[in-house]
Order: sequence, then C-alpha cells, then structure tokens
Amino acid sequence: MKKFAAIVLAALVAVALFANGTTEEASSGFTPEKDVSWVCTSKPGGGSDIFTTQIKDAMKANGITNANIVTDYITDGSGEVGRLQVSTTNKAKADYTLLTFNSGDLMPMVKNTDNRVENFRPLAIMAVDKQLLFIGEQSKYSSWQEVMDALKNGQKIVIAGSKGDDIETYNKLIAELGVAESQLSYIANDATSGAITSLLGGHVDLCMSKPAAASQYVEAGKMKPVLALSNNRFSSELLKDAPTLSEFGYNNVEVPVWRGVTAPKAMSDSAYAYWAECLKKASETAEFKAYLSKNGLEPMYLFGAEAEAYMLDYQKTYLASIGK
Amino acid sequence: MENFALLFHGFQVVFTLQNIGACLLGAFLGLIVGAMPGIGSLAGVALLLPLTYKFNPTTAIVLLGALYYSNMYGGAFSAILLNIPGDSPAVMTALDGYPMATVKKRPGQALFTANLASCIGGTIGMIILAFLGPALADAGLHFGPAEMTILLLVAMTSIGWLVGSNPTNGVVLTLLGILVASIGMDLQSGSPRFNFGNVYLLGGVKFIPFVIGTVGFAQVMKLMDEKDDKAKESGITERLTIRGSLLSLHDVKRILPPAIRSGILGTFVGVLPGAGATTGAFLGYAVQRAFKNEEPLGTGAMQGIAACEAANNAAAAGAFAPLLALGIPGSGTGAVLLGGLMMWGLNPGPLLFQNEPDFAWGLIASLFIANIFALMIALGVIPMLLKILAVPVKVLIPIITVVCIVGSYSDTYSFYGVIIMLISGVCGYLFEKSGYSTAPMLLSFVLAPLLEDNMRKAFVISGGSTSKVFFNSAISTVLTIVFCVLILTPVIRAILKKTGILKGKKTK
Repeated sequence: MKKFAAIVLAALVAVALFANGTTEEASSGFTPEKDVSWVCTSKPGGGSDIFTTQIKDAMKANGITNANIVTDYITDGSGEVGRLQVSTTNKAKADYTLLTFNSGDLMPMVKNTDNRVENFRPLAIMAVDKQLLFIGEQSKYSSWQEVMDALKNGQKIVIAGSKGDDIETYNKLIAELGVAESQLSYIANDATSGAITSLLGGHVDLCMSKPAAASQYVEAGKMKPVLALSNNRFSSELLKDAPTLSEFGYNNVEVPVWRGVTAPKAMSDSAYAYWAECLKKASETAEFKAYLSKNGLEPMYLFGAEAEAYMLDYQKTYLASIGK
Repeated sequence: MENFALLFHGFQVVFTLQNIGACLLGAFLGLIVGAMPGIGSLAGVALLLPLTYKFNPTTAIVLLGALYYSNMYGGAFSAILLNIPGDSPAVMTALDGYPMATVKKRPGQALFTANLASCIGGTIGMIILAFLGPALADAGLHFGPAEMTILLLVAMTSIGWLVGSNPTNGVVLTLLGILVASIGMDLQSGSPRFNFGNVYLLGGVKFIPFVIGTVGFAQVMKLMDEKDDKAKESGITERLTIRGSLLSLHDVKRILPPAIRSGILGTFVGVLPGAGATTGAFLGYAVQRAFKNEEPLGTGAMQGIAACEAANNAAAAGAFAPLLALGIPGSGTGAVLLGGLMMWGLNPGPLLFQNEPDFAWGLIASLFIANIFALMIALGVIPMLLKILAVPVKVLIPIITVVCIVGSYSDTYSFYGVIIMLISGVCGYLFEKSGYSTAPMLLSFVLAPLLEDNMRKAFVISGGSTSKVFFNSAISTVLTIVFCVLILTPVIRAILKKTGILKGKKTK
C-alpha cells in the first residue's frame, strides 16, 4: 500500500513539474515556485484594486503565468506602510512581491515621506488618464471663454476636484493662467464623486474629473466639458468638443495620471525580466484592452527600463514643483 | 402609481429562486458581519465583491444590498450584550442598550427593541426610497458644504447632554476626541498632521479600533477590576428565553413613535452627501431627547435604542437614493458598491433608472425582502445570543479580549489597529475610572473630521465670508436658527429663572 502511495505521489509531482514546464510562456530563466504577493495600497473595490484584478485575470485567462497571485491590501498610513514594506522587502521574498503603483501614490509618497522611486524597481506603466473641467446645469458660465472673462473681471471661481493628481493639475493651471489661488479656488474631495455632487448641487462653478467618472453625467446632460486638460482634444464623441488651453493662447496643461506596477529594489534581474514580460503580455490581451476602453483610460505601455526612466522623470518634475 | 408598478416589477425580478437565495444569504452574512465588531458592512461588502464578479448583476447587487442592509441589525448585538459597538452607528445603541441589558436586566427586550425598531425604520426608509428616491436625491444635492457644516454643528450640540453631571470633564474629552481625529493627512492641502514622523499615523487613527478599545477593551479591564461577579449574574438567567424576551403591548406602544420619527429623519439624513448612517443615528438620538421619555435617556431607555436603531437602518436605505438616482455614493460602503456596479458592466449614474430598471427596482424590492429576512433571523437567534450573558465573567473576559483583538485587527489587517485598540482601551479605562465619560470623545471623534472638511470647503467657496456660510441659502438659514435656538435655550432659561421671570428650580 505504502509503495503504491509513493508511486502515485511521485507521478503527481512529475505531472505537476511537467505541466509547469510546458505552460510557462514568459522565459527569462525565472519560474515562480511560490505564491506571489501583489500589494495594493488602497481598499478593495477602488480604482487600484480593479486595475490589479484586471491584470491578474488577464494573465490567468491567457496562461501568461502559472503563479498563484494573491492580492494583499496594505492600507495603513494612507498606503505609505505598504509602499515602504515593498521597497524594503528582502531578497528571499523580493522575486515574489509586486506593487500597484500610480502617480496618485507617488505624489504623497515623495511629499510626505523619504521613500523614493529609486527604492523600487519599476516594472510597467500600463494606462494613463487625463482630466477635463466640467460645468453643471446650474453653473453661471457656459463655456471656458466665459470663465476666463469672469476671471479677468476679478470674479471668484471655485473648482471642485479630487486629491492627489487633481491638485497638481490645478496648481499647474493657475500658474499657467497667472491667477491667484484666492480668485480661482480649489476644494479637494476624497473622491471625484464628491466633486461631482458639489457641481450638480450648484455649490461650485467647475468640476475637475477624469472621463470615466463624468461620462454618464455628460450623457444625461447634467454636465458639460468646457476644457480639456491635455495636449490634444479628447477623441470620444462625448468629450471632443472641449477645447484645450492652447486654443485660448496659453500653453497646454497636462498632468498624466498613470497606473503602473513596481517591484522591490531587491528583486533579481531574472525575476524582473520575467514579470515585465508577463505584464507586457497582459497588456496585449483583449481583456485588458476592454478594461481600458470601459474606464476611458488611454493605453500607455512602458515596460522595464522605460517605465523606470519615466517614473524617475515624473518624480523629478513633481519634486521641483513642490520645492523639494 | 407608476412607481408602484415599477416596484411590483422589481418584486417579479427578485422572486426567482436564485435571487431569493442570494437575498437570504446576504441577510444571514450581513447579520454575522455586523455582529462581529470591527468587520462592518464596508469590509463585508468589499470581501464579498470579488466573488460576485461572475454573477448576473441583479443577483450580485441583491446579495450585497441585503448584506449591507442587514449588517445594521447585527451591529446592535455586540453593542447591547457586550458594550462593544461593532460599527460607528451602534455607538449610540450601546448608550442605552447595554444598561438595559445589564442594569435593568432586560437583555431580550433590548435586542427585540433594537430589531423591531430597525425593521420599522428600514421599512419607512424603503417606502420613501421607492416613491421619492430620485426627487430625494435631487433635494440632497442642495446640501452643499455650507449646509452640511451647520447640520453637523447641530449634531455636535448633542455632545452637550452626553457630558453628564460634570461638564468640564465632558468638554476636556470632547476636545481630546477632536485632537485625536485631527491626526493624519489634511485632506485640503495633503500635508501630514501630528504624525510625529510615524508612517502609520499618516493614515490617522482609525475609528473601529479606537471605539473597540475605548468602549470594549476598557470594559474588559473594568470587569477584571470588579472582584464581585455575583451582582452581574444574578437575576438575568430566568429571562433567558424567547418568551421572557418578548415585548409587552405597552413596550411596543412606547417604541413606535420614536421608531417612526427616526425612520423619517434617518432616511433624509442618509440621502445627504457623506452623512451616512452614523450621523443619522446621532441625530435620531438627539431628536429623541426633545421628546418625553418614560426613563431618562442613557440609563437603559427603550426609546433611546429605538430612536437610533430606526434612524440608522432608515439612513442605510436612504443612502441608496443618491447611489441609484445619481451614481453618488453616500458612504464608504456605497463607494464599494459603486465599484461593483462598474465591475458588473453597468454604468452607475443619472441614467441607471432608465437604462437598467430591472436592476434598480430589483435592488429596492430585494431590500424589502432582506428587511423581513433579517428580522426573522435576528429574532430567531436572540435566545442563543442571550446565553452570552449567562457566561461567567471569568470566561467572558478572555472571550471579549479575543473579540477586541480580532475586531481591531480586521479593520486594516494589521497590528496597527490592535495597538490603537490597546492604547485607547487603557486610556478609556482610566478616564471612566476617574469620572470622565468617554461618549463625548467618541462623538466628537466621528463628527469633527466631517465638520472640519465641510467647514473648510464652505469657507473656500464663500471666500472667507461667515455670513455666506451661515446664511448661504434658505436651508442654511433655517439650520442656523435651529442651531442658535438649541444652544441659547438653556442659557436664556437659566437667566430667566435667575431673574425670577420663569418659575422653577434654579439651574446650576
């Protein structure tokens, strides 16, 4: 009986090894043999979580990796604890740790802590979002030209938006327009939905939002885009009428809101190449492309060294803008 | 009439075996999640959400809606039996629920009152939601930062009567609550406050571990302190049956008016942006103060339990109005549900009622059914729950300690919560021992961040003008008058009594 059990066990192990060897598509000399921890520093159900889940699902559905990936939500300290933990992950675990990392994570991290992009190994940037300014049904103004005229007449205008990237975009906007903060004011909400509520209720004049959060309201006629905070006009039918700032004789204001993935500094080169390859393959899947179009995100594919250079440059520009 | 037909259609959608099953499962899980301190509806919905990705959207929302809704029932259990409010709305339930269960030795009736009031409040909320949902959501939009500021100031006045016999002590702890709440990130500027270089404190002190420590763990220390167990146990055992827990006709008559009042009030509060069930429960309790009560509130009064339980369930129903009609989440749980809607391929927003009537009305109908299921399950488990009170204190102490640790850990899945719970537990115990009531601290801890956020937004919008905040619109003017009346009445009354114009006992 014992002999039989041993044979069965050996056969199972052989089959498992064989299966592992045949379906593993990404080749870099590294093959995951343990569970992978994918750290998400915001709550389940949020934008970062959905992004993470979509990539995981795309990888699984297309057999890109056989690794068992578990999402770990480490939200303490507004996510800083999770980011610090990943950046300092030691060698043994580093090859099995990934982190969802967005521009909205980078800004508070470098502003409020000593943690920097240099403490990670950026793997990929896979999507980018841009903002627009909207007016509501009850707004006093009907176009961006009217808003600018009002500003010239010394009237006070209030924009509502979200935190993080939106505040940075607002700062660039007032710098470009050359108006004071007290004249073109900004109120930060925990989420864009709070800003939209203020606009729909007529409590603010303008609302800053990304396309996904606003499109339903534009469709229902409750909101109208008046300015695209981007280098080019948006291509979608609902948003294409919004002019860019250059059409009014200013420089365009664009703060790309990107979504990406990083790894611990201690990750080995072979594992780094493996995961960058997996993410690249995931970005080419139909599932991931459907996710982008559903959420109004634009594709922006940078992997490995390219992603690292981009994040470092973004950090440098941001640090300079806050005088650090 | 059209809404009635649509609601009927909603019931047709829900009455499939699959949806009824999902509703029952949701109601059951919601009760468990609600009864476990620290988990709460937000975590419950968030944990279950990934499992529903492959569901049909209607079944998925029926499951999560029922879970969210019945969670409000479960929150009262631990608050009444163990004095550990599992969720923020249950803080007010514990104020009367625990004394009623222990001092008055009527635990069964306390649970019954909470569940019956929840059912009444919830039903009122759902009826209003079904017939006035979109209109109500539009009305809620009129509450901007200025209006919310004054509404929260009105809610803050309830601290005045929570301070008890020693107002100075009460004010000290109220201020301490505000100070602790200000730790973390400043939302408007994104700058850290009072974190002393600690990366954990950047995220602030979380409410769940804070309240579990201040109330629950402090309770454990108090029990350890009390050498004499007999006083607590005697007299309770004979009432530990369902028959001994039933409410008399007189009791039902007593809880009906506060439940109906709070049901209506709670629904409207639930609709307001960012107010949620907690503010609903606080206001429900505050309003009850203005009415005649057979027993003084805070000493185990049935009306107190009914007022806040009805209000928080009604607010949970009311919060669906802006979510369904406008795609605006009224609470953290609402935000997760919104994430779910997008995952299931629906577009939440002003067109949801038109584009997805099956979904929207199916959800509303399922809330009615979940309400009945939750009440039946809750009443069914009362006899079992009551046995907790018969457990000897020496056994109960380690059990509550474990509940406190697990509850505070599961809020953020880290030991940070446990440390917060232990520190606030020791502080809470020392405060209570020195004659400081911790209730005002918890209240100010919950309301102060909301007040600060809204007030700062209101001042940015008004350009620093006070009159544009307090007299911004008809709503804010009325609320300002209510606020002034509330704070000036005791002062004027005292002056009038002193000068002899008003007869009566002189106030202190």
